[in-house]
Amino acid sequence: MPELTSERRGLRSVRMEDGEVAELLAFMCDGEPYAVGLGSVHEIVIPPPITPVPRSPRAVLGVCSVRGELATVVDLRATLGLGELQDTSRSRILLARLAHGELVGVRVDEVRQVVRLTASQIEYSSQTLGGDVSEGVRGIGRPNSKEVIVILDLVSILAKGCL
Amino acid sequence: MSDQGREEFLTEAQDIIEAFARNLLAIDAAHKKGTSEPELLNEAFRAMHTLKGLASLFGAGGLSSLSHRLEDLLDALRLGRQTLSADVLDVLFAAVEVCHQLLATEKEEEGVLDPLVEENVAKVLRSMELVLGGGVDKSAGDTGVDPAILGVLTEYEEHRLRANLDAGLRLYRVRVQFDLMTIDKELEALKDRARQLGEVITYLPTGEATSPDVLELDLIFASGEETTTIRRELARDNATVEEVPTAGSRKDSDQGSSLRRGAPPSSIAAIVNSVVPAPPMGVGAPRSLDPPAPGVDKATQVKDQRLARRAVRVHIHKLDRLMNVVGELAILKTSLHDTAEIVRSDLDRHLGGELHQLHRILERRLEDLQNGILEMRMVPLGQMFDRLARGVRQISRDLGKEVRLVVTGAETEIDKLIVEELGDPLLHMLRNAIDHGIENEEARLVAKKSPAGTIALNAYQKGSHVMIEVEDDGRGVDEEKLAKRAVERGAIDASAAGMLTQEELMGLMFLPGLSTRDDVSEVSGRGVGMDVVKTNIARLGGVIDVQSERGIGTKMTLTLPVTLAIFRALLVKVHDQEFAVPLSAISEVLNLEGRTRQVEGREVTTVRGATLPLCRLRQFFQLTNEPAENREFVIVARVGERRLGLVVDTIAGQQDIVIKSLGRSLETVRGFSGATELGSQRVGLVLDVGAVLDEMLSPGESLRKAALYA
Repeated sequence: MPELTSERRGLRSVRMEDGEVAELLAFMCDGEPYAVGLGSVHEIVIPPPITPVPRSPRAVLGVCSVRGELATVVDLRATLGLGELQDTSRSRILLARLAHGELVGVRVDEVRQVVRLTASQIEYSSQTLGGDVSEGVRGIGRPNSKEVIVILDLVSILAKGCL
Repeated sequence: MSDQGREEFLTEAQDIIEAFARNLLAIDAAHKKGTSEPELLNEAFRAMHTLKGLASLFGAGGLSSLSHRLEDLLDALRLGRQTLSADVLDVLFAAVEVCHQLLATEKEEEGVLDPLVEENVAKVLRSMELVLGGGVDKSAGDTGVDPAILGVLTEYEEHRLRANLDAGLRLYRVRVQFDLMTIDKELEALKDRARQLGEVITYLPTGEATSPDVLELDLIFASGEETTTIRRELARDNATVEEVPTAGSRKDSDQGSSLRRGAPPSSIAAIVNSVVPAPPMGVGAPRSLDPPAPGVDKATQVKDQRLARRAVRVHIHKLDRLMNVVGELAILKTSLHDTAEIVRSDLDRHLGGELHQLHRILERRLEDLQNGILEMRMVPLGQMFDRLARGVRQISRDLGKEVRLVVTGAETEIDKLIVEELGDPLLHMLRNAIDHGIENEEARLVAKKSPAGTIALNAYQKGSHVMIEVEDDGRGVDEEKLAKRAVERGAIDASAAGMLTQEELMGLMFLPGLSTRDDVSEVSGRGVGMDVVKTNIARLGGVIDVQSERGIGTKMTLTLPVTLAIFRALLVKVHDQEFAVPLSAISEVLNLEGRTRQVEGREVTTVRGATLPLCRLRQFFQLTNEPAENREFVIVARVGERRLGLVVDTIAGQQDIVIKSLGRSLETVRGFSGATELGSQRVGLVLDVGAVLDEMLSPGESLRKAALYA
């Protein structure tokens, strides 16, 4: 069942003008906070039974049905090269609709909240992380002096997971 | 113009062109027999007349002017002023193709005319001019009517105009603006009113409408009434009536005649008095056709249109959505059944029984609903066969081979989506049959065959499959040369080539490597693009089988599912994962007895004395390395002539399933044709039996590699 349907007004764009506010959906994966643009999230669902697809790419968990529509689900942990974890009661799937209409989801450990960051709170540097991961990384968000959130691009994470 | 209106125009134009082409084939057949079919010509003429009107209404300029010229040509034919010959028919068939191209251009968003299409249009127009060179005798008296008006009339219309003027009637032009929303009704109403007073010669858009929602038409109308009467009778808010000056209506009728047709036929004007038809390469003896039956035109047309209006066009996606709903209802129905069972056993026997009764009724109604939707998706193969017949005619003329196409089973129905994907592969098979199969005339005579080749195109339903056969009486496939070619290409070892069975040898023609070389046609082979044909057929869930006998002929058989929307499947479990196997691909289910043998690296078992290769799905899909704990089952899958035993853990039952394709992100995964909902949110993968068979049974390891890496 859907818990939250995105209002599609969030910003998926990489860079913002001063004073603009980015709405991000923050979630946890392997104990670390991540976020994606709220607008890129079509829907958040509790994982339905997922059917593994033999011979599919490693990061693909399988396919599931979301109200009669077939969705391919990728595991964020596998995509980011993190360790495996079974579903918990807090696991969620963030669904996105790709440009050609396909419904694709990414499984995360736990969804936290919507955070709003101004341009000055976001550091657009993919170089700092380097390597394979940086492809899907949009930047680093600093909502306060203590916390650091890795901002991901949902669509490129999904595309990467399906390779 | 609304998108929907445009959409309707496009489909209607398509229908008209297809019907027209069917007509041409009939005319062609009659012509070959040496008979003439005036009614067919009339019908073809009317089709172009309607198309012209439609096209100009929707601003499809190219189509409008081409159909106008075709109308002229057909008019000349039906009036017997132009002789029907094979060349004229060639031009007409070519025009059909160009019409299709123009329509395709209209379908595209931008509607930019491909220069190639433009060139084709020009070519057809030129050749039409050549055959029309015979010209038309129009010098019979000057009407004195404004050439601007005459210029847009067809010959038939002009003929009616003359007849009316000769009868001493007056000519009027009624200019009316119609709202596009109501034009159908209002135009009919106006024409009805006008018919009370005289004869409507034609109506044409003026292109001077004041707003995009309005269409301005000129009604050219002949009547014996006075202008004032006409004005009074046809009074409408925005209609203007004026009398058109004619030779009869004015004294100064010495104005030089410059009767010009709509299109640029200066050459026709030059040969206006020539009555000798001069087809450039005329072969057919000049023959006068029966005079047409004037007046039949509009009445028949209106009847046709009324019939067409009873039909509804629905986008197939809408049917898909309905089918999805039915699929979900079916899952609910299963839940209802389970609930009824619980009620009956645990709570209330009587109430449970009632629930079961309701469940059964629901089941039947749901079946009706499902069948109804399926029926809507089905179309007869005939329309596509007509297109193929045109293709065969063209190809055989191009190659200079005489070929008789015998079609049976055109009424066989199949899923609309399948039909759309089937045309190209079938045309390819037919082209191969004519090019490589049918020998030239001398060779046929030497082989004591009739000089004309025969190709049979047969369709019939067989269970839940539709079979389509393309059979020729040509020279057959030369397996030796095929094998030699495969060895030369490195697709198989020379030593392996000798071991191949007849079936495997035939399979060689589907290897991609054998397809691209020009000289492949020397191999009498049907190599050209057969791999593409096979892939396209496989995508539709179909298979292709080849039987060939040297000197006798070749038969290719397509086995296709009747529909892609829904089918009955056997649910099986392998290592706790559920899979659906289309029942249509299963011939039987057996217990796997202990004895299996290894033959050439393949595990096989013996079923009633015949060897059956096995595929253990748990290994094939790398589900686990552990062997099964209990006794396993063998599902004997049969696709075309090939058989394979699929080894599974358990059989979980049968179910009607609605298949959904895996998304584009999983399209490279082979072995599954999609997934389906099994109830309580579970999703099962649907086995692509054809793909599994291909992977397991490709003839020899080296061949498989060749297919993979070519």
